[in-house]
Order: sequence, then C-alpha cells, then structure tokens
Amino acid sequence: MGGPPTIAFFPEASFGAALNCVGIARALRDKGARPVFICHAGFSGVFSEYGFQEHHLPASDTTAPETYWQDFISRHLPHFDLAPIDQIETYVAPTWEAIVDTAVEAEAPLFALLQRLRPDAVVVDNVVMFPAIARAGIPWVRVVSCAETELPDANVPPYLSGLKAGDAAGRAAFDARYQSVIGPIHARYNQFRARHGLPGLPPAQFLETSPWHNLLLAPSILRRDRAAPLDPALFTYLEGCVRQEAPFDVPDFARKAGPLVYVSFGSLGAMDTSLIQRLIAAFAEFPARFLVNVGGFRDAYRAVPDNVILERWFPQPSVVAKADLFIHHGGNNSFCEALYSGVPSIIMPYCWDGHDNARRAVETGTGYMLQRSDWAPEDLHKTIRTALDDLGMGDRLKANGRDMAAFSGVDLAAEKILAVARQREMPSVRGSTRMLRETWKP
Amino acid sequence: METSERRTSTPRPRQNHLDLARRILDLVRDRALGPGAHLPEQLLASQCNVSRTPVRAALKLLADQGVAVHEPGRGYRLSDDLVGASALFPRLPGAAEEDLAGRIIRDRAARRLDEAITVGEVARRYQSDRRTVLKALGALADDGLVSRAPGQSWVFAHLPDSPESQSDSIEYRLVLEPAALVLPGFALDHDRSAALRRELVALLAEPDERLDGGRFGRLDLEFHMLIARGAANRYLSEALAAHHRLRELPGATARVSVVRLRQSIQEHLQIIDHMEVGQFAVAADLLRVHLRLSGSQRPRAANRGAPPLAATPRRGG
Repeated sequence: MGGPPTIAFFPEASFGAALNCVGIARALRDKGARPVFICHAGFSGVFSEYGFQEHHLPASDTTAPETYWQDFISRHLPHFDLAPIDQIETYVAPTWEAIVDTAVEAEAPLFALLQRLRPDAVVVDNVVMFPAIARAGIPWVRVVSCAETELPDANVPPYLSGLKAGDAAGRAAFDARYQSVIGPIHARYNQFRARHGLPGLPPAQFLETSPWHNLLLAPSILRRDRAAPLDPALFTYLEGCVRQEAPFDVPDFARKAGPLVYVSFGSLGAMDTSLIQRLIAAFAEFPARFLVNVGGFRDAYRAVPDNVILERWFPQPSVVAKADLFIHHGGNNSFCEALYSGVPSIIMPYCWDGHDNARRAVETGTGYMLQRSDWAPEDLHKTIRTALDDLGMGDRLKANGRDMAAFSGVDLAAEKILAVARQREMPSVRGSTRMLRETWKP
Repeated sequence: METSERRTSTPRPRQNHLDLARRILDLVRDRALGPGAHLPEQLLASQCNVSRTPVRAALKLLADQGVAVHEPGRGYRLSDDLVGASALFPRLPGAAEEDLAGRIIRDRAARRLDEAITVGEVARRYQSDRRTVLKALGALADDGLVSRAPGQSWVFAHLPDSPESQSDSIEYRLVLEPAALVLPGFALDHDRSAALRRELVALLAEPDERLDGGRFGRLDLEFHMLIARGAANRYLSEALAAHHRLRELPGATARVSVVRLRQSIQEHLQIIDHMEVGQFAVAADLLRVHLRLSGSQRPRAANRGAPPLAATPRRGG
C-alpha cells in the first residue's frame, strides 16, 4: 500500500474530547498522516469544519424529544449541588448506565466501520472501552483527557471524588459507596465484554490502559505523586495538549474599564440559565469586563449589564489567552487551557472530574474553588478579587504557561501515535495493563 | 462594524452629505479616476444637481476617511495611496440616526434592551433627542427589526442570531443567490470584483494566528453583495441586499474555524474567477456548494460525563 498512515480518532461525544482530538489530528496531518474521525451522529459537522473526513455511527432508532436536553438538565440540576459522594447515585450511576448503553449500541456498527476503514491506528479519547477496537486487531492509543484521577493509584484520590490527596477516611467511604452503586453497572459491562471475548476489568474500571500507548493531558504543575509511577514506555504526559484556534478580538464593552474575565461552564453548564443569571447580576457590581458563554440560551437573559457580553460560542483557547481570569466548571480541557495561557481559574464544579480538578487547583495553587450555587454576591466578588490580585499565583502561572507552550503537546502526541501506527505486533503485556489485571480481585 | 459608531464625541455627518459622498464615489468609479485625480467642486455640483456648498461638505467627509485630500488654493483630489476595496468603497460614518439605530440593535442583540422599548427610555439611555430616536426607530422599522406597538412602545422583531435563523438564512440564499447569477442580464461590477479579489488573496496569505474573523466577515458580505448588486432583476437584488443587511447584525453569522475560513475564501475566489469570465452558470453551481458547506452543523449540546447524545433534533438535515 505505502500511502500515508490513516489514523482513526474516536472521541467521546463531548466538546472537550472532540476538540482535544482535533488539535492532535491537525498535528498528524502536518506530519503527513491522514486523520479521520468516527463519531456519533449528533456530532456531525464538528470535525468536517476542521477539514477532516467524518464517519458516523448510526443514530439510535429512538428519536429524542424536542425537550431532551431541557429535561436532562431539569432532572439533574439539583444533583449538581450535591457533594461528589452524593452524586454517585443521582448522577454518576445513570451516566455510567448511559455510557455502557452507548458502547453496547455502537459495537456492531463500529466493528463493521473499522473493518471497512482498516486504519493503521485508532485513537480512543473516551471513558469506556469498545470491544470492537480490541477485536479489530488494530493498534490503539488511549487518550486520558479527564483529570489524572482517571488512572487509579494508591496515592491518588478516587476518580470523581473531589477528595484531597491523603484523605484515607474519605477515600474508604467514597470507594465503598461507589462500588456498591456502580458494581451492578460494572458487572453488566463486564458481561458485555465477555460476550465479545474481552477479559473483565477490575471494579470501577471501564477502560483499560492500551498495551500500545497511552497519552495523558495532565500538565506537570498538577501531576500526582503516584505510588506506582506510570511506565514511560507506555505513558506520555502531554502538558495540556492545547489546540490553536482563530484569533479573538476582544469586543468593545459599553463599560470599558477593568480586567477581562472569561466565564464558561461548557455546553452542559450553559443550560443552567438561572445560575448564570445570578452570576451576571453579581458581575454588574464588579469593576471588570465579563465574557460569558451562554450556549444557545441567549434569549433567557435580559437587562444584561454594560460590562457583560454574552455569546453562543467562543474560540476558547484564543479567548482564554486574552483573559486575566477564567471562571469555569473544571472540565479538563478548560483547566488545561487556563494553565496553558498562564491564567488563574476559579472552578465552580458541577459534576464528574470537575470536582477532582477544582480540588487539585486549590492543592497546587493554580486556582480557586467556589461551590457552584451556594454563594452570595460578596463571596463571588471576594473570590474574583483574590484571584485577580494574587500576584504570586499569577507569576507562577505565567512561567508555567510559557513552559507548556514550549512543550507542544499536540506534536508529541502525533509522534507517539505515528510510532504506534508503524508497529505491527501487539507489545507483550506489561506495566500498568498487568497492574490493572493483578489488582482485580473479583 | 464595531469601530466607527462608538466615537460619539465627534459630530455625526448629515444624511444628505453622506448620500452625496456616495454619489461622488460612484462618479469616481464610473469615470475610472485613479489616485491623485482632481475632484472639481463645480463639475461635481452640476453632475449631482446640487450647489457647491453640500459638495464641499461631502468632499470633506471623503477627506476625513482618507479617500480624498485637500490642497489649499487647489481644492480636492483623490488620495495618492488608494489601494484595495476599502479605499474605493469606504465605510462612511453613519448619520446621527444611523449611529443610534446601530447602537440600539447591538444592545438588543446583547440583550441589554428588553423586547419592548419606549422612545423616552431610548432617549435617556443614549442621551439623544426624541426626533433622532424616532428617526432611528423608523430606520430599524424599515428593515423589519422593530414595529410600533400600541401606546408609546416599540417592539423588536426576533433577531436572526440563533442557529435556526442561520440555517434559514442559508436555505433562503440557496434559493435566491444562484438564481441572481443565472438570470439573463447579470452584470458584474468588475472594479469591485478586482478590489475584492486583492483583499481576499491578502487575507488568505495571513498565517492562522492573524486570520481575522471580523475582516473575513466584512469581505464575505462584500462578496455576497457583489452578487446582489449584479442581479438584473431588481426585486431579487433588493431582497438579497436587505437580507445581507440583516446578516450584518451581531450574532447573525456563525463563527467558523480557521480551516473553514480558508476554504471559504478559496471558494469565493473560485466563484469570482468564473464570474469575471462570464461563466455565471458555473459560478452559480459553485455558489450552491459554497453555501451548503457554510451551513452550520454544530450540535446543540454535549459534555463530558453527560449521557451520550441521543438523536438530538436538528433542523435542516
């Protein structure tokens, strides 16, 4: 054959994973490879907009009602106010159920698609393994684009727990509850794997490390001190892996003075319009300019103050680069982009690894944490002022941002993926793959 | 779009002077006058059927924009460094009511103004007089952006700043724009086309980090207006021009990635190639492809940890 290697990206249906993969795919294309994307039908257009060919998995037969997302958010909004441990039953379990459903549903079409495409490597940026990828016999690379807690270790707090490092009692309580609630879902997932000839995974694990290679976004400044350090032959840290977007001109504010604060809670957070309304009312009383990502909900707002501009979508990395402060939900991409641009974060976590990132921001002095809804305007003002005035944090973050930018995570990721694509034989089981198997005591 | 209107301290030009300045520019183009050409007041006054006083005011306006220069004792001439479309087709500052209309619609788009407003409220907010406010609202009403409600209030129409409106806009233009090109009598303005080509080529040569979306937006509008102006059927021409004015409103066009932005510039250039040699049917086919590719297909919502996207209902296939 001898043509350029085809690299099939299969990101989770979320903007974080999708755009992270876009950054790596652009670097691969610059190196002569042919990246293509496999995606859920609901994500069509995202990758072709960046010039990549898309292959869609068929949409499920059941058409969602017009109010699908509104129903989803009204059901879960109260849960986002709960402590991470109390979200296990209310949010985490139903989410895992749905994720397992997707994997089951995607299996046959994904297998057929991979047989047709015959890529030289598959890049999986997801939280669950699709047996079709292992069955296809194609080398695959895992991207760990969640917080580093996604890879378990004795010294690392449990994934999604938001716990401090070293909180043994908290850990025991969280683990026990997590396993009792998630256990049945996990058992169903392991049965599904078994049906397709894959060994079961240890409790709470839905995705194994790749025997070929694994890429982690986690930048050094957030890195955990692991009891069992990750084998550098199998794991590469990418220092954030931030993509380049079109430049962003800061719009003209009617009230011009003050530092620039960018506010985005991702597309999920944008649906919580009542919280954003409260934030905007508080911003009106603070001497700064605020750019607020409101998704498709601009009509939910009125009497927007002169120091606030609402937009449906922002080229986030370019906006963060011009901001003095980034208020976000702790999504891993958002947090990495703040670090990459040397900008402090105020994290108001909703769910999932947002809790882990918020805790880690405080532990590492890279940002502040604020409970998402339990605050008075004075608390919010005080936190914003503290973050903006923290010159020590600002200097440290600027220096770290320069290091991250010099590192070029997207290029390193592309090189590692190309090296895997050139391999023909599956490497012998070693390192963390073995570790996961050995620690599983069913 | 954002730049000129905010300078509220400088007095706004009068509408008749602006109209006259535009007519003088038309004459310059019709007579293919080059950089440095003399602009005699008397001749312009008789050509435009007005006295010399308003012509002088219009020429001063052009001088303020850098299009003309004034030499004491010798009058006005075209500037020596006229280059690019922006020079021959400058964005003249708006009259006071135009400026106010722009600010009102921007503030509505930013959701600073409620759906219904009163003249008194607007006059207070913008420190303007009732007469100017009424003229501004009248201008917005002409474009279908506001309508008079019972009593003293005016009500805004639904602004075209949602994904649904953007999708409707693409569908509307798919019907009309190719038709404008293929109807007999399409007349391309070759000067505008050449100037636009130069600007598109210059933008395409910029590296990604300087590929300015705002600059692209202005050229995109200029490109599509070129087609609207060239249409032989005046109803078609007017409908398209009015629609493009709506597309100038904040939020009416979707932001695109640098990759799509480059593709879009290349598509514009290719269509211009065919229009310039009179291959309007080919240009129309390429325009259809360009518009279809420009249709935004972004999904509405999804997030890490959220249940996977179900078949979220979207419009436009």
